[in-house]
Amino acid sequence: MARRTIDGLMRAGITHVVGIPDNTSGPLFDQILRHPMIRLITVTREGEAFAVAAGLWLGGASPLVVIQNTGLLEAGDGIRGTAQRMGAPIPFMVTGRGYAKMLKAGITRDDPRTRELLTRPDVDSTALLTEPTLDAWGIPFRRCDADDDPVLALEDLIRSARDARLPSALVLTRGLD
Amino acid sequence: MGGDPGRPMLTVAQVLEPLARYRTDEVVVTTMSVVRPWGLLSSSDLDFASADSAMGHAADLALGIALAQPGRRVVCLNGDGSMLMCLGTLATAVGAAASNFVLVVCDNGEYEITGHQPVAASGRVNYAAMAEAAGFRTVYRFDDAHAWAEAVPDVLTGTGPTFVHVVTEPGQQGPIGRSGKEQARYLQHSLAEWSEIMRAALSSGV
Repeated sequence: MARRTIDGLMRAGITHVVGIPDNTSGPLFDQILRHPMIRLITVTREGEAFAVAAGLWLGGASPLVVIQNTGLLEAGDGIRGTAQRMGAPIPFMVTGRGYAKMLKAGITRDDPRTRELLTRPDVDSTALLTEPTLDAWGIPFRRCDADDDPVLALEDLIRSARDARLPSALVLTRGLD
Repeated sequence: MGGDPGRPMLTVAQVLEPLARYRTDEVVVTTMSVVRPWGLLSSSDLDFASADSAMGHAADLALGIALAQPGRRVVCLNGDGSMLMCLGTLATAVGAAASNFVLVVCDNGEYEITGHQPVAASGRVNYAAMAEAAGFRTVYRFDDAHAWAEAVPDVLTGTGPTFVHVVTEPGQQGPIGRSGKEQARYLQHSLAEWSEIMRAALSSGV
């Protein structure tokens, strides 16, 4: 799947992948590291990824940001103060930690975020907060669930970010395998 | 280092004027206390003010431009407070082997824009040593205006990533806006408008 994903990124004209790997995106990072055309820029913090990507876009490149939803929550002003205020069409893929637990617990993003829910040991609040956070920040996003094709979803994301001329997200609730 | 009036240091003008004199087609990204002073010296389409509550990301943004434009030198005029917010950028720049990237930290020891509050460990952080330890290929430290002015041509042409720690006097800059009231040309446009201006300049090979 990682190889197919890279083929999709090539078709979409992506020149750089900027981000930090997790267990889901790790194989993709491994492939890009060895790829002759798409350059991998590994950053140290997720907010940094959006500023680097915004700079790449200013310079005429077409970056994709890849981060985990945990890192998304720390990246707020990195997105807002650079890519979003610049109107930079930066597509970003957010791998979704905690979605399996949320599904298993029968919880959805629309459940009231009470103290009881936010502190439940069987619920990872990262997944609970991911989509409401994207909504609050004004970031267009779509989800890629178990039955969806991640490669097609990614290509669609890149197109829609360019159409919207804004940073736009794909929340990956499934693996890339 | 900045924040200690007893130590030798440069004024902001002494930092910027030699850079403006020798600058040709380099991109210059500014943030915080140097945004307005640089904008009064230069009105190039290749200037970029990262001044919109940038949370220390000016250097990241400049690094991105450098990676997209490997044939062009990109200079970031950063502050010490901004640098402290994003120290990881030092490792990212080295990891990305950005040989055309010049990161200048104007160390005045304080958050000048918000009213001169000291940064953490004001005057005690050796930014040049940090950059050297992170693996920057070329590292300078200046607290003398003449030495800096003489070195600027080398700074702009040497193989990077290059890091420059300049000990500077605090100035009197306040909060930065984007409107027709600002004298600096790059502050007279929204960030989105200026981004398009700069993209056009970079794509035309100015």
